[in-house]
Amino acid sequence: MTVLMIQSHYQEPFAMTAPLFADAISSGLMKVVREMELTDQHFASARGLITTTHLDQIGFQRFAAAVIAFLDRGGRWIYHGHILRPVLPELGIYRPIENPKRVDLDQVRLYDHPIFSGIDQKTLETNHGVAGFYGRGHNPPPEGAIVINALGPRQVPVDWIWARPKGGEILSHAGNEFWGCGDDPEAKKLLARRATAWLCGELNR
Amino acid sequence: MTILAIHPGAYYHIETLEAPRYARHFDRLVRPEDLADEDLSRHAVVFIPCRTPADRLASHAAQLRTYLDQGGTIVATGETAWEVFLPGIAFTPEPTNWWWWLTPGADLGIRIASPQHSLFKWLDQDGLTWHLHGWFDPPEGAEILAVNGEGKPIFYVDEVTTPGRMIITSLDPCFHHGSHFMPATTRFLDGFLPWMREELGGEKAK
Repeated sequence: MTVLMIQSHYQEPFAMTAPLFADAISSGLMKVVREMELTDQHFASARGLITTTHLDQIGFQRFAAAVIAFLDRGGRWIYHGHILRPVLPELGIYRPIENPKRVDLDQVRLYDHPIFSGIDQKTLETNHGVAGFYGRGHNPPPEGAIVINALGPRQVPVDWIWARPKGGEILSHAGNEFWGCGDDPEAKKLLARRATAWLCGELNR
Repeated sequence: MTILAIHPGAYYHIETLEAPRYARHFDRLVRPEDLADEDLSRHAVVFIPCRTPADRLASHAAQLRTYLDQGGTIVATGETAWEVFLPGIAFTPEPTNWWWWLTPGADLGIRIASPQHSLFKWLDQDGLTWHLHGWFDPPEGAEILAVNGEGKPIFYVDEVTTPGRMIITSLDPCFHHGSHFMPATTRFLDGFLPWMREELGGEKAK
């Protein structure tokens, strides 16, 4: 296994994830493991990690040491959702935008990360013309993190990448799975394909 | 008697169950994995929030049934596979129309079916209206609280399947409130949770 995707939900309709990764899963590049069936060994054998918005953040605490070891040896982690139970001391608690207006949900690309490169961030800003699915706040970036995408005039850091000084990288997206947002199916496929490549150690800058 | 909430631990559960806005409505939080050690008979209500992964309650179905057989009350909101852990559930999912409100003058069709019910002193029809995930075929004798545009139940009270009471809805307020998205879901909880406390969780409990 190279990429570990943790499935925290029960029903399939929530799967904004697995269908886009069908090829990676069928080839054995990615393995989907239900969160309640996780063991430390899953982290030990992974190079990349995907957690979704439905992560049981309380239960995930039991894997804090395994996650740290995974990062220490250079693992890459894509984190989705609102951090309310950090597993690393450098991670902070999610902050929602209070009473957001439409302008507060405008999106802008600040850093040309290879997962997002060439994809107009505006295509991810709305679903059916409605903004807010992508993100409505931020997980505080650790010191040294680079903001990829930001929201509104205050440039709320909805997406950032952090090269952890002790090893590993975390890409935080404070919202629904980013490859599930927007109305462009090709953009979604491209994001999923690139996310897989990045988690496998490719698409380096 | 107290109110116990199952705490599956996703961010929207943490925000709904632990944040100051609603924390006072829950006396005790228990992880699904710790339920076996919990004496449910101490609690007037067991609250199961939206999107509780059903596989994490499956092994506790007998315990929940015993609680119902002893006259307990279970409240379960939407987007969980209730039939995995509760008796008498017949649910038909439907595709979610997230966009109905973009049409000027559109009506999602949700209606209060039992306006005399005490809940609706706390909650109005707008507080039930954000989107639909499906409907139920409740057992005969269940009290229907709200229906969709086709008149099919989306919210009901079942006091016939067991000696206890199940209050079941396909609405998913905890997920959206806990995501800071969809104000109607917060209006729902602003009315529903105080009602649950006042009518089910205190001396008035069944």
